[in-house]
Amino acid sequence: MQACDAYLLGQIGYKEAYNIQTRFMENRIAGYIKDTLLLLEHPHTITIGKSGNSKNILVSNERLKELGISLFLADRGGDVTYHGPGQLVGYPIIDLKNRGKDIRKYVHDIEEVIINTLRVFSIESSRSIYHPGVWVNNCQIAAIGLRIKKCVTMHGFSLNVNTNLDVCSLINPCGCSNVKVISCSKILSRDIPIDEVINVLLIQFSDIFDFEIKTNNKLT
Amino acid sequence: MNLNEYKFTREKEWLYLESNDIAKIGLTHYACLGDITLVDLPEPGTTVDQFGKMGEVQLGKTLTDIYSPVSGEVLEINHSAIKDISLVNKDPYGDGWLVRIELKDITELENLMNKTECEEFIGEKIE
Repeated sequence: MQACDAYLLGQIGYKEAYNIQTRFMENRIAGYIKDTLLLLEHPHTITIGKSGNSKNILVSNERLKELGISLFLADRGGDVTYHGPGQLVGYPIIDLKNRGKDIRKYVHDIEEVIINTLRVFSIESSRSIYHPGVWVNNCQIAAIGLRIKKCVTMHGFSLNVNTNLDVCSLINPCGCSNVKVISCSKILSRDIPIDEVINVLLIQFSDIFDFEIKTNNKLT
Repeated sequence: MNLNEYKFTREKEWLYLESNDIAKIGLTHYACLGDITLVDLPEPGTTVDQFGKMGEVQLGKTLTDIYSPVSGEVLEINHSAIKDISLVNKDPYGDGWLVRIELKDITELENLMNKTECEEFIGEKIE
């Protein structure tokens, strides 16, 4: 079992979180730190990935500003993604050299962590053969977009726990107009405290990745 | 192709020396563990440094850097592979090559692994 530090950062702006991720990634590449998992929420934010097309944002930049939604170009794979309050975002900083450099297995394992987490809350979910991520009845409940540098991962996943799905309608998720999104609260007709989801997800993350996780509430 | 004549980085790239100072560069089969959905390569005329970033490749929704095995100037990019990205997955050591480069310093090849060394490094056969 390998050691992993998890940091619970609460709500944090996209740019600040990006800077933290980059710092952790560089330190992981240099071997100064262990594998790390950052868990957080973002304020209303839309990001465009490397293969993204701004046409998949269905309103103008001015309208996004009026709605208080920030827009960022992200150096990750994938298309357009929404982040916001009530959505649990996970940024694993993991050295894949210790895991056979197998990107496909890494994505599979991230999906497995989310599927197992949702099952604890009585939500049955699955993978799609067309899009990485986790799905419930053809609706996306968790998105995945990653970057790997020198075999170390950054960016990660976002799981719609109590997400305001109305804001999601401002984009074509994954760049597809026919992709619908869903949240745990929509499925269960009640909100789930995000801390409960974090606790379950940490157990599943530890199990799937064979990590002994030390949880921290503050950055060191 | 004779893979015994290829050189390999410790990341995921290969190099094949076509003449004294011209080489093809591509991605190894183990870099292609996932469907390649996008390749971003430097324009001809761009100079690159050994082990410096020369482009990006997206596997599914995972973006990774491509590193140049040697220093030099990019002469040509493989437009066939850009047009049909599945070539990189189907034939990574052949028609799926990415760029042709003019080497700046041939002694840099000493910093690369041969096929046997690479197979020991990754723990599997390259075929």
